[in-house]
Amino acid sequence: MRDSIPSFLLEPNRALPPREKIGPVRLGTIDRALEALARVTATGHAQWYSARRNGLLQSLDARVKLLFLASFVVIVSVRHQPLPQVAIALSICVMAALSRLDLRRFYLRVGLLTLFFGLIPALPAALNVIVPGDVALPLVTLEQGHRLWLYEIPRVVGVTREGTLTVLLLSLRVMNSVGLAMLVLHTTPLSEALRAMKLLRVPDTVILIISLSYNYILVFAGFVEAMYLARKSRLVGTPRGAEARVWAAGRMALLFKKTRSRCEEIYKAMQGRGFMGNVRLPGPVRLQTRDWAAAAMMVLAGLFFLWL
Amino acid sequence: MDEMLRLEHVSYRYHDGIPALADVSLSVTEGQRFAVIGSNGSGKSTLLHIMDGLLEPDRGAVYFRGRRVSESSLKDGDFLRYFRGRVGYVFQDPDVQLFCPTVLDELLFGPLQLGLPEDEALARADEVIDMLGLTQLRDRPPFMLSGGEKKRVALGSVLTMNPELLLLDEPANGLDPRTQTFLLELVFALSEAGKTIVLATHDLSLVSELHCEVAVLSEEHGIERVGPADEVLEDEELLLRVNLVHQHRHHHGEMVHSHTHSHYLFHRHNR
Repeated sequence: MRDSIPSFLLEPNRALPPREKIGPVRLGTIDRALEALARVTATGHAQWYSARRNGLLQSLDARVKLLFLASFVVIVSVRHQPLPQVAIALSICVMAALSRLDLRRFYLRVGLLTLFFGLIPALPAALNVIVPGDVALPLVTLEQGHRLWLYEIPRVVGVTREGTLTVLLLSLRVMNSVGLAMLVLHTTPLSEALRAMKLLRVPDTVILIISLSYNYILVFAGFVEAMYLARKSRLVGTPRGAEARVWAAGRMALLFKKTRSRCEEIYKAMQGRGFMGNVRLPGPVRLQTRDWAAAAMMVLAGLFFLWL
Repeated sequence: MDEMLRLEHVSYRYHDGIPALADVSLSVTEGQRFAVIGSNGSGKSTLLHIMDGLLEPDRGAVYFRGRRVSESSLKDGDFLRYFRGRVGYVFQDPDVQLFCPTVLDELLFGPLQLGLPEDEALARADEVIDMLGLTQLRDRPPFMLSGGEKKRVALGSVLTMNPELLLLDEPANGLDPRTQTFLLELVFALSEAGKTIVLATHDLSLVSELHCEVAVLSEEHGIERVGPADEVLEDEELLLRVNLVHQHRHHHGEMVHSHTHSHYLFHRHNR
């Protein structure tokens, strides 16, 4: 064997002269995307640990939490006054704290989603062009007013008091809806949330499909991470765009092939354990006294917010 | 002892071209420990797939307790339930086998599909969790388990169905020594409890420890020999021919000599 080893392998390693100046290594778009995808696995782990903490909501049955989420989202959407919305927002904050969630991370996520799905789309409503009202902050003063299609453009275009309240109220409602969803998501293991879906008469087959999808997204995210690290371990400098794209395309093809063959193997494994077309999953466990008590308190709180 | 599984002249090709098995015939009796050994790509996993009715052979036939196992016979719901309830397959890659949200759900899946009442399935799952030391992992999702833990859960997911015949594909692959020992002791215990065990492996030390009947698959995908482990594993020429041991070269100064070598053949303890 020693006779067939190339001579360069038998010599000490010498640093290769650079072909050109490498410069600072920057992550390309594809590298950033792969890193983000690889973090999906970490997100799955984090969600499980968060849902297992010894907190207020973690101890409740998933069905109670799902009904709480559904009913409070309806309350948030029907109450158009600021006072009940602020009260709900404060309640969400208290429940998140009592459930031992990382409030900074919690509100960072809620804030980002509120920004993109609440505040930014609603901002035009603050202008008197969209919602007429008393201008509190003039922005543009024109020589005269104009009519443009459906819109009456006044001489002074600015932010109105009424428009500002509308934007803030809408943003608050979005924030509350997102906050409620995040609260339940971070305090409920996915397996229990899926089982609770039986309450909504979701078929077992659909529940199994969702469960399988979640599970294997995480498994394949781990595989993507491994591919990325394998490439990273042999890279020096930032690969050019075309080179990175060719690599990514090749890996996508490999991943597609792997998922296809993995699908067939998983189906065989399911068949091997008795799957015959219709799946049967375990039913939910009996509700405890604390679940009933929590449900009663949530009903009372809901009525209070509707009255407020 | 009654015959449990019989394969007659089974051949199989993947995608109508790539040969996987060539004219394989063998028989497994009830309560037997049976190992199929061969190098990578010799057809061990394919053979187990065919034994479990997951693949239909291109030629030949498979019989379980005298009844033919085929695509058409498995369309009979009663026979399918009968067969699946009695034959359990633990895949080589546990990620393929673990598809439920939690460890407990994995162990419940098989019994529930067979129609067992939920409380009985739960009782079985609890006992198996206890036996396999999985209590701390009961509510954990499979993607958060280590390799060894996944293997134990995969085995447990099949045991809760209480199969008569256990097909194990490379059961010790990638396991640390302690887990391997645990697995071996478990296989012995199951065998003493009356289970029939068929395992596919290229690990000769595992086969030696099991004192089982051995079928050797060649790289040409046929059966080279069937016999007791003691006899088969002594046949160095056979093992070299089927690539289960390798030719080792030594340098003694200017002189070079070669001899067959495997950790099993040369490092086993005297009985």
